[in-house]
Amino acid sequence: MPTEARSSGWGFAVPRRAVVGLATVGGALLLWWLATSGLRLLNPLRLPSPQEVWAAFSQISTGQGYGGATLWQHALHSLWLVAKGFAVAVATGIPLGLLMGWSRRAEALINPIFLLLRPIPALAWIPLAIVWFGLGDTGKVFVIWLTAFVPSVINAFTGVRGVDPVLIAAARTQGASTAQVIRHVVVPGAMPMIFTGLRLSLQASWTTLVAAELVGAFFGLGRVLNVAGQDIFPGMILVGMAAVAACGAATTWLLGRAERRVVNWRPAV
Amino acid sequence: MSEIVFEGVTRRFPLPRGGEFLAIDRIDLRIEEREFVAIVGPSGCGKTTLMRMAAGLDFPTDGRVLVGGKEVTGPGPERAVVFQQFALLPWKTVRENIGFGLMCKRTPKAEADAAIARYVELMGLSGHEDSFPHQLSGGMQQRVAIARAYVMQPAALLMDEPFGALDAQTRIVMQEELVRLARRNPRTVIFITHAVDEAIYLADRVVVMGRNPGRIIETIDIRPLREDGGWEAMPIEEVMDTPAFTHMRSRIWKLLKAREQERPAAPAPIPATVPAK
Ligand SMILES: Nc1ncnc2c1ncn2[C@@H]1O[C@H](COP(=O)(O)OP(=O)(O)OP(=O)(O)O)[C@@H](O)[C@H]1O
Ligand SMILES: [Mg+2]
Repeated sequence: MPTEARSSGWGFAVPRRAVVGLATVGGALLLWWLATSGLRLLNPLRLPSPQEVWAAFSQISTGQGYGGATLWQHALHSLWLVAKGFAVAVATGIPLGLLMGWSRRAEALINPIFLLLRPIPALAWIPLAIVWFGLGDTGKVFVIWLTAFVPSVINAFTGVRGVDPVLIAAARTQGASTAQVIRHVVVPGAMPMIFTGLRLSLQASWTTLVAAELVGAFFGLGRVLNVAGQDIFPGMILVGMAAVAACGAATTWLLGRAERRVVNWRPAV
Repeated sequence: MSEIVFEGVTRRFPLPRGGEFLAIDRIDLRIEEREFVAIVGPSGCGKTTLMRMAAGLDFPTDGRVLVGGKEVTGPGPERAVVFQQFALLPWKTVRENIGFGLMCKRTPKAEADAAIARYVELMGLSGHEDSFPHQLSGGMQQRVAIARAYVMQPAALLMDEPFGALDAQTRIVMQEELVRLARRNPRTVIFITHAVDEAIYLADRVVVMGRNPGRIIETIDIRPLREDGGWEAMPIEEVMDTPAFTHMRSRIWKLLKAREQERPAAPAPIPATVPAK
């Protein structure tokens, strides 16, 4: 059972760790500045200086932006696509995984198709998605859905199979119907595992989205990276990378909050 | 109508490497309506398996289990079970765990709340109504499991070592409480325990089982002792000091011991196997 340290119980360690973390980041920035503009050890076309990155950031944040839109518009566009693809994957994958976990018959029926499709990496679907849906949003939502779907199904399935049979037996002896057993025993019991799957799904969704946008898109952070690469504009490439990281971290943080609200009954390890 | 009848009940479990393990061998046992029967026996003799068959969670390979004259086909809230492993829902609070069966029955909220409050109080769980099971001690979890069974007012109570995780003091309190409940509102009870004392003190009859294969060695009626000795009116520690009680205790111990010497615990369940059909 995967568990991770929760922030509770750190006590006085928090300020100290924050100080150490800030010092490390500050040191790295200083080294970066020294290597690029301070001592000019590196070719600025390979690694831009902090000032160049800041200039690129200013350029894309204001006015015309870059690659057809401002940073916020690109980021919101990418976030929105991930949110849509992820939501569709969750809404389809979790019920399917629950069904396969609960019913051996459903598993026997669905699993072969699943085993057939599962080894195909989601990125390999991108060309087909473009052929089917073009370079617009639909194709991207489709590949994100494919990406996030597999971990959602597998973890919901594993979660159901991991529910202690004695708990199901106990609920039955108390007169619970099948629907009540599923709602009050199976789903909550599978929930920690489901969230593990969702975290994997979310990370993979961002990977897939950036790849799909690199291949071809009108907006989005992947498009920023793509255009900046063609323009040989290293400062803008770094801005794009940082924006992808920030969006990924923000969505992961939101998911963690949701998990702590839903799985509120577990001992904090 | 809640007498529990085992008729020639045999239970074999398939072994992972083929063959079968004979867990219970032709058990005949009749537990009358409102009778309190304790089952004692060494680990692995099939006590839990027997209870699960009365609960409708497991089924005999041969023979029949009848409750109230009808063959058991599945579990039901009129037969409440206290599981050896407590089996509380970790995602529900104490209150929700105790009220789960009432919720399934759609008992009106006011009525359910009153019943839950009564058993919270009775089981000494006040102040912990909103705790999750992992926040309770083992003994407290066990008391939640007991409260959850009592609150259903079942016709039959099937209890698998319900006091196993309790400290000695709480255990005595719960034993006396169970006797009081059983006298005030008698129901059919199967009570599994490793503690011979507890079995004699609580039960109308004690069933002594042996293992490899699981069989009934002897069934002993305790009622004459209790009535002649006036146990009802005495505190538990005095009852346990009476000569009649200590004599009965050593008699049961001897039965268990003789059986184990004659048939020591098998290192592997090989001696009790029969070839797969
Ligand atoms: N589902 C099962 N599959 C295979 N073997 C089983 C199964 N359930 C029980 N057994 C076997 O049947 C025998 C009796 O088990 P049971 O749990 O009824 O014992 P018990 O008397 O309750 O023991 P304890 O006092 O330790 O709880 C054991 O040897 C056990 O290994
Ligand atoms: Mg047992």
